[in-house]
Formats: sequence, C-alpha cells, structure tokens
Amino acid sequence: MKEFFAKRYRALGDMAQIFLDEVKMVFTDEGVIIFFLLVPLLYPLLYSWLYNNEHVEDVPAIVLDESKTSASRDFIRRCDAAADLKVVGYANDMEDAKKVMMKQGCRGIIVIPSTFSSDIARGKQTTVSLFVNMSGMMNYKALLMTLTDVSLEMGSEIQIQKLGSITTREDEISTHPIESQAVAMFNPRSGYGSYLLPAVLMLIIQQTLLLGIGMSAGTAREDNRYEDLVPMSRRYGGMYRIIFGKGFCYFLIYALMATYLTIVIPRLFHFVQLATLHDLVPILLPYVLACIFFGMTMSCLIRHRENVILVIIFTSVPILFLSGVSWPGASISGYWKGLSYLFPSTFGINAFVKMNSLGATLNDVRSEYYCLWAQVAVYFLLACLVYWWQIRMAHKHVLHNEKERERRKHASKFNIFYRH
Amino acid sequence: MLGAFFDIAKREFRNMISHPTLYAVFMIIVPVCVVFFFTDLMHEGLPEKLPVGIVDLDNSAMSRKLTRTLDAYQNTKVVARFPNVREARKAMQKMDIYGFLLIPKGTEAEAVAQRQPKVSLYYNASVLLAGSLIYKDMRAVTTLGGAAIGQAKLQALGFTPKQIQAFLQPIVIDTHMLSNAALNYNSYLSTTIIPVCLSLFIILITAFSIGIELKYNTAPEWMHRANNNIVLALLGKFVPQTIVFTLVMWFATYWMYFVNDFPYQCSPWFLFLLAFLVVIVSQGFGIFMFGLVPSLRMSMSVCALWGVLSFSISGFTFPVDAMDTELQMLSWLFPMRSYFQVYQINVLNGFPLYYTWSYFVAMLVFILLPILVLWHIKKALTKYIYIP
Repeated sequence: MKEFFAKRYRALGDMAQIFLDEVKMVFTDEGVIIFFLLVPLLYPLLYSWLYNNEHVEDVPAIVLDESKTSASRDFIRRCDAAADLKVVGYANDMEDAKKVMMKQGCRGIIVIPSTFSSDIARGKQTTVSLFVNMSGMMNYKALLMTLTDVSLEMGSEIQIQKLGSITTREDEISTHPIESQAVAMFNPRSGYGSYLLPAVLMLIIQQTLLLGIGMSAGTAREDNRYEDLVPMSRRYGGMYRIIFGKGFCYFLIYALMATYLTIVIPRLFHFVQLATLHDLVPILLPYVLACIFFGMTMSCLIRHRENVILVIIFTSVPILFLSGVSWPGASISGYWKGLSYLFPSTFGINAFVKMNSLGATLNDVRSEYYCLWAQVAVYFLLACLVYWWQIRMAHKHVLHNEKERERRKHASKFNIFYRH
Repeated sequence: MLGAFFDIAKREFRNMISHPTLYAVFMIIVPVCVVFFFTDLMHEGLPEKLPVGIVDLDNSAMSRKLTRTLDAYQNTKVVARFPNVREARKAMQKMDIYGFLLIPKGTEAEAVAQRQPKVSLYYNASVLLAGSLIYKDMRAVTTLGGAAIGQAKLQALGFTPKQIQAFLQPIVIDTHMLSNAALNYNSYLSTTIIPVCLSLFIILITAFSIGIELKYNTAPEWMHRANNNIVLALLGKFVPQTIVFTLVMWFATYWMYFVNDFPYQCSPWFLFLLAFLVVIVSQGFGIFMFGLVPSLRMSMSVCALWGVLSFSISGFTFPVDAMDTELQMLSWLFPMRSYFQVYQINVLNGFPLYYTWSYFVAMLVFILLPILVLWHIKKALTKYIYIP
C-alpha cells in the first residue's frame, strides 16, 4: 500500500518536472516563442487591421450618359449619393470608359441609353446597362445593389406619376402590393471582418498549437541520439506523465491565448460578439484539449522541426475552407466533409461562430460540443499509443546499444584484430 | 563554370530523389493535391440548394406559391417549415438553415384587399456568400409575388402585357459581368488562391533548401563545388527546382484554364509565362528572405508569416482599395499582390500589358532582390555554424 502511494507520488513529481522542462523550452526556444506567443498575440491584430474597414465604400464607377436629360442626371445623382458607389467621371463613348477601367480608375461602367427619358415618358421599359469588372465580388455586389436600389426607387416614383391615384397611400399600395423587409441577421453591416475573423481566430489557436507542439517534438528528436521522441530518462518512463506534464504546460498557455483571441480581440475591434467568456469556456476547453492531443498524436510523424512549418502552412487555408465558413458547409461534398471531421478546428470554428456571431446557446451547439469531446478522447488515446510506442522504441534503442557495446567489448577481449 | 553549374544541378536533382519524403511530397504531391482540393470543393461554381426555411403563418394559396417558387430557385432549397419565428431563429443559430421567409397571417387576404401586407426575409449575414445568395433569391421571390398581384389589377384595367411590364419595372438594370458571366466562384477564387498557395510553398521550400545545407553542414561542400562562387551555387541549386516548380505550376494552369475552363482573355502562352514568373518571383523572394535572416528556422518562420498574409493582402476577396492607405502601400511588398493585379487586368479582362507595367517591374524587383543579400548568404554559408 505504502509502495503504491510512493509510486504515485513519484509519478506526480516526474510529471511536475516534465511540465517545468516544457515551460522552460517554450520560453527559450525562439521558434516556439514565435508560434506560441508572438503569432497568437500579433496576428489577430494584423488581421483586424486588414479588415478594419469591414466593407467597401465609394466603389468608383464611370458614367456614359447618352441621354443627357434631367431624368438621367437624376439617376446618376442618386447613384452617386449612395454610400457604396462613387461616380468618378463621365465618358463620351464606350472606348473612353473602357480606358478608365483599364487604368483601374473605375470598377464599373454605367450606360444610360439615349432613349432613357423618352422611354419613361412614353411608358416603355428602359434598360440601364452596368458593366462590372469581376475581379472582386465585393465591388460587384456594391455596384449592383446600388443600381438596383436606385432603379427600384425611381421606378416606383414613375409608377406613382403614371397612376394618378387619389391618395399617396393608394400609390404605395399599387406599386408595392406586398411590402418586403429584409433583415440581415447577426452581421447587420454585412462586414467582411465580422464574417472572416471569428473563423481565423479559432484557426490560429489550432495551427499555432500544432506548430509549437510539432517544433518541440522535432527539437526533442533532434537532440536525441537515436532520433527518438522521448528522452531516455527515468522521469520520461511513463506515458501519462509525459502527456499530462507537457499537456498541462500547453494548456496553461492556451487558456490565456484562447481568452485573448475570443474575448479581447473582438472587443478591441468591435466585431460582433454575442457570447461571454462564461458561455465560451465549455467549448474552448474541449477545443484546446483536442488541439493539444491532436498535436501530440501528429508529433510522432515529425522527424525534423522545420518540416512542421511546411505541413502546417500547407494545410491552413484548406482547413479554413473545410470548416464551411467561406464556402457554405451545405455545399461541401461528402468526402471533404469526412476529411474535415479529423480536425478539431471544424467543430471549434463552427461552435464559436454559432455562439459568438449567431448567439446560439451551448444546447444549440451540442453536436459540435460532443464531437469535440469525442476528439479529445480519441486523440488522447492515440497520443497515449504514440507515446507508449515511442517509450518502447527509446528503450529498445538504448538496450540495443548496450548490447552492442557489450558485444564489442566481448569481441575485443578475444580478438583484438576484430575491432570495428 | 558551366561544368560546376551542372555539377551542382546534378547534386540537387540527386538530393531531391534521395529525399522523396521531403522534396517529392512538398514540391509535387501536396501542391497537386491543393489544386485538386480547391477546384473540386467549389465545383458547383455557385453554391446550389442552400437550405432555407419558411414560417408560413398564412397558409394560403399565395403563401404556398411563394414557397414553391423559392424552392425552385437555383441557389435555395426549402428544407423546413417552422410554426413560429422562434423555431426558425433557433434553426438559424444552429446553421441548419441560412435564412427564412416570414409570411404573416392574413397576407393573402390583405394583399387582395389592398392593405399592403409585409413579408419579411431573414438571412444570415455572418456567412457572407451563402447569406447574399439567399437574400438575392428571397428578394426576387417576394418582389415577383407582389408584382403578380399588381399585374392582376392592371390586367383588369385593360393594359397590355408589355405595358404592364413597363409599369411594374420602368427601369431595368442589365448587368454585364465582364469575363465571369456565370458568376462562377470557383474560377473567381481558385485562380488566385491556388497560385498564392503554390507561391507560398515555393517561398518556403526555397528558404528551406538553403537552410538545410547549413543544418546538415553540407554548405561547405556545396560552395566548394561552386568554386566559392555564390551566384553559381544558387543558380545550380535553384534551376532544377525552378524546372520542377514550373512543371507543377503549368499543371495547375492547365487544370484550371483548360480542364475546368476558367475564363481568360489573354493568349494561352501568357498564362504559362505568368505561371513561370510566379515561380521565379517566389524563388527570388525566398532567397532574399533567407539572406535577411540566414537561419533555417527563422527564415522559414518569417516566410510563412509573411506568405500567409498574401491571401488577404493580394486583395482578391476584400479589395485593397478598401483597406487603410498604409496597407495599400504595404501591399507592394507582397509578390502575390502583383500576380493578382496582372491576373485580373491582363488575364481575366484581357486588357493590354501596358496597364500592368508597374506590376511587372515589381516582379522583376522581387526576382533580383537576392542580389542585395548575396554577400550575406555567402557569409552565412561559409562562416556560420548551425545552431538548433
């Protein structure tokens, strides 16, 4: 009995030592410092700065007014007055307008036909053409929306003139028998930052953790005489000791980082933030744990520390796409979806977006919640397996080496010519 | 001189073949996978049949017609009917649906009695693409639904169909989406995201393959083969890689523009030339970065951190014009910004090269950047020892 406790006590001591070793490594290895501390701290600031303006305003457009009447001028004025569009000039002909577009002076060309006001006066339908440079969807959307709005607004005014109804209310009803009201939920300004940032923030947690863990594993292997992941020391004799000792170190750092990324950054830059830290902890806890054990499992594949950078960087953007934020999750085919279940980020990003941007409760994201815990369990077991195997390998290498030395010693005793 | 060059080039080829896990995987297999990944993920072009819901409190012929019409639209699919707004909102928060249409009680009766009922469309704006597509379809359905009623009234008044059309919509906007008429998101995103990914790989591998010589202490032997001539050493090392990368890049180009038929308006030769340019620009940038921080790990870290930003600052999703002025200037420091501008001006829109000369100059600068740090690289290769 006493021995049992002594053994546990020693294991705890070993764990503490492994933890301290790892902490020391994190704060002395410059590669790990970069990815564990600098990137999570600075990258979100950088991204927030990039998308600070949230949406496009005053997209430049050039007007080719073939009508040159008060009606066409009215149309142009209304376009120019809208927030998203800015009329930067008037062209005499299409060639002129095209030249401005080639010079990147404008993103769109608005062509008002010569029959514009006569068509309206005669009760004929008139067509305004919009030529858009399709290199940027945001610009395209801004131009199209503005022109559509202006055409509808002017259109109903024209209808009202035509109708000659008795009351203005009757006018309204005849032009819009059914009124429709659009509500942009969860991101009222349709801001680009509010859309992309939550996903990027969660991805940063996973990718930097994987980088840091992978680098530390790579260093451990390179420092090891036999390129083993586990150093040959009595302390590193048990897999639970190693996993909990190292894991606790990463967990402490990332408890802070996750709070900073999910709470401080959105507040600093006024992104949509519906969840409090209290709401998010139940998701962040399994997410960080799943990432840590995932990283530990993957670290067995890492032979050299620099390869980690290659692997992580190569996978970052595809993983972001797999999470179903940029490309809608409903349109991702089955096999890619299956692949996406391997990464904690898929569930982490979705749960965070739903809670933080859409105001879902924990109950609403329970499928992600369970999946994350399932990943924690699976990757924990896999990490155990990996370390168990690695400890065995380390023992084997050392034993083999001992034997070899013995054999050589033995051989040299009998045959001095048979020395290698 | 030429002998030394071929000697080093041969050494590099041998290097690539003898370390397949490193070079074959990261130079060929992973890039090709990335090409397949993006083009296949977005093969629909525009997401189709996005799930939406209906809150039909009216239960009338009209509300059912609206539902059916919405379901028939290409981008939306009505997957659920909810008894009230609360349930629908819950489903939105779980992202089971991206939007819903609320048809209040008495909509049909009020419309017929000319009391102007109000239909509300709710869409999730925090997922931009899905949200805007659903908005477009729902807006069209409600506008047309309203128009149908107006049409009935005007018909009763004895107007001809043409007159009715002109009355209901006096001004039509005819949008000409230059060079991407189908609004294909696959061609819009893949044509930039894939080259940016590949360029990032090239930059990293370039820095990696110089640094690894330091790490394994093979740099002296390398320099010795080059007769201590750093230009020769670098050329000998990177020309074989240029060949491999160019082939991969050409495959990506072929796959995008000739298999997937993404639109382009330049000569096909220009596509391949641009692909080659991306390769050497990235290599120049990678060598330069290594020259700035001549250590394997640090140079790779810097390249990675710098390269990842290219996705944002090349401006293909969020336009650079809409970013802060400082960022607009900083965007010149990213090789892939120049690529994107050349792509969108010359390739996508087919405008003359004259309009992109400044970006070609920028690319040339990136290719020549290593000259600035040659002495530094040489010093690193001959004097430094690898510190892990």
